[in-house]
Amino acid sequence: MEKQNQAERTPEPSPDLTPEYMFHVDKPVPRDRAGAFLQSLAAILQFSDYRYLLDSYAASSAKCSRCVVTCPIYQVSGEQRDIPCYRSNILLDVYRRYFTLRGWMASRFGRGFELTDDLVDEMAEIFWRCTACRRCTLECPLGIDHGLIARLGRYALSMAGIAPKALQVSVREQLEGETHNTSKVPTSALLDTLEFLSEEIEDYLGVKLTFPVDKEDRDHVFFCAVSDYLMEPDTLMGNAIVLYAAGDWDRWTISTQNCDGINYGLFYSDWHLERIIRQLVDEVTRLRGKEILIGECGHASRSAKDFVPVFGGSDPYPVVNFMEYTLRRLEEGKLKFCPEVITEKVTYHDPCNIARSGWIVDQPRKILKSFVKDFVEMEPHGRENYCCGGGGGLVSLDETHEYRMDVAGRVKAEQIEATGAEIVIAPCANCKKQLKELVEYHKLPCRVMGLHDLILQAVEIPGAKSALERREEGLGPLAM
Amino acid sequence: MDVWLEFARGPLFAFCFLVMVLGLARHLILQVYLLLNKGHTLRRVRWSMVALDSLGWAIPLRHLIRGTVVLTLASVLFHIGVIVVPLFLGDHVLLWETTLGFDLPQIGQRTADILTLSTLACLLVLLFYRIWVPRSRALSRWSDYGLIVAIVLPFATGFMAAHPAWNPVPWQAMMLIHVLSANLLLVLVPFSKLAHVVLFPFDRLSQVHWQLKPGAGDKAAAALYGEEARV
Repeated sequence: MEKQNQAERTPEPSPDLTPEYMFHVDKPVPRDRAGAFLQSLAAILQFSDYRYLLDSYAASSAKCSRCVVTCPIYQVSGEQRDIPCYRSNILLDVYRRYFTLRGWMASRFGRGFELTDDLVDEMAEIFWRCTACRRCTLECPLGIDHGLIARLGRYALSMAGIAPKALQVSVREQLEGETHNTSKVPTSALLDTLEFLSEEIEDYLGVKLTFPVDKEDRDHVFFCAVSDYLMEPDTLMGNAIVLYAAGDWDRWTISTQNCDGINYGLFYSDWHLERIIRQLVDEVTRLRGKEILIGECGHASRSAKDFVPVFGGSDPYPVVNFMEYTLRRLEEGKLKFCPEVITEKVTYHDPCNIARSGWIVDQPRKILKSFVKDFVEMEPHGRENYCCGGGGGLVSLDETHEYRMDVAGRVKAEQIEATGAEIVIAPCANCKKQLKELVEYHKLPCRVMGLHDLILQAVEIPGAKSALERREEGLGPLAM
Repeated sequence: MDVWLEFARGPLFAFCFLVMVLGLARHLILQVYLLLNKGHTLRRVRWSMVALDSLGWAIPLRHLIRGTVVLTLASVLFHIGVIVVPLFLGDHVLLWETTLGFDLPQIGQRTADILTLSTLACLLVLLFYRIWVPRSRALSRWSDYGLIVAIVLPFATGFMAAHPAWNPVPWQAMMLIHVLSANLLLVLVPFSKLAHVVLFPFDRLSQVHWQLKPGAGDKAAAALYGEEARV
């Protein structure tokens, strides 16, 4: 194996040979892409347990085409390459041909399958068209996880030097940069933002709050998508006000060394996934925190929930999604929401990363139904929800905008339209970005916001203006 | 002819059965080995969800969604027939007793007839579906069509052998084709997607596969890029 970065070793390919992918790459791709892919896959299989997965799926995939019926991508595109089982079988073909005795023997009889550079380029396209929403897994009679296979394909591609630039740059900054967050937000900017939020809360509710930063020995160490600090002040203010109203203001903290719950490794690289989780866990240990509290972000929640136990040592920190926390406090009677102030028709979008496993399905609904009079469900919803169309990291790739609007997100847009809702609640930074773009592109007459945005509008704080008064005076998220 | 038939039903059948058992054992052992390796991480798997999902497929009422009603019904009926008839038909049970040494309850000839005919009908539906429906055709390979034929053969010839009036060829010839085609099918099981007969419980355990191996990423990166691998 070459002891060098694969891409650095390869000379700059001539412009006509540079393949065009649906995403920009950050380094020139290797000239021998088939070789690089096989080397990467071999290294991955050597040290992980994926071999058993591939062996099992390669020997049982029945190609019954049921997965097709549920895939939001295929339903719109109708293309063969978007059939989940077809896509998975490409990787399984590579596995069968190059990593099994039977495949080797079959190749002696002229079976014909050969991994070419063109096929690697096709895989880069096909595996990244999938949003890894895993609806297909629900409909596969065998329960084959095509999302996991697509992810493995992406992992092998990324180790071979083919990965989206936007995600690579973000991960590089998060792991090796100075700011340790994906948006390169320096600590000073973070502190300025927190001060601004503090002032906003004081204007809005008359409550003076100073955000706890780098406090040790707190119960909850809070992580959210770092973009929330810059782009979703209402969600963060909602989070903060819930913590304050529940009497937990002295029991939580944000870290300036590592405030970012984003983990793009979940989308395409076990290597990145583990390193980012370890970094997160190290930070909680540094602050002597007791629990990881994740804000409104689907993939950040799932990365932490599922992978802190895997990579976080022998006594891993418990992980709580903010909506679980809010529901707990609501049921304890510590939070009061005004049931009259939200007059709009509200629907709820289940982010795939927290709903597909059944983890967060009922909690947000219980919260919403406690103060929203006109709540309507999309069909299907919950565990069987449809992907927003921006999953799997696609929403962070601006160059995929048209694909996400016209293909990946079309079913979701139709679902939203069918509800007639005026507000769509999406408790996930990525889903919110995608849904906002969808609503604008398809000219849907509704707004997209986080759950805690709505809570911010409806929360009753003793001594502050009532929720109805605030609404009447044109204050709060809904007033804008 | 007798010699061929005795050979096909005797040593050849035993050999093919052995190949099937060993082949499936290889699949089973690998998957069980994985589970043993995963050890304490199995505690994190939501087993209740696995159980509920599996039950949901045993009685797939929720899965009769538009576009797959025919497929679902045909598949369920087919599986019932393909499991019950080969195992519990009277003549087969005799075969298990004499060649393999174990006993199973028997079904009557009439039940077997109904099940065999329904299985054949379902197979035709599945074949037609695979040829006719574009998304299914897009996904299908030679082996997918071939395996349907490979299952039709023993069922059709078995039915005709049990009903000599239906035989276009002498009974012994029909029996020989039946036994040989069944033997072929046995051998095909571990080397094709038919291996799902033992693999299906493990396929549903993707949650186990998501319990990634700590350190595997670093090791793979080090092997590819050296110890100082950077993103």
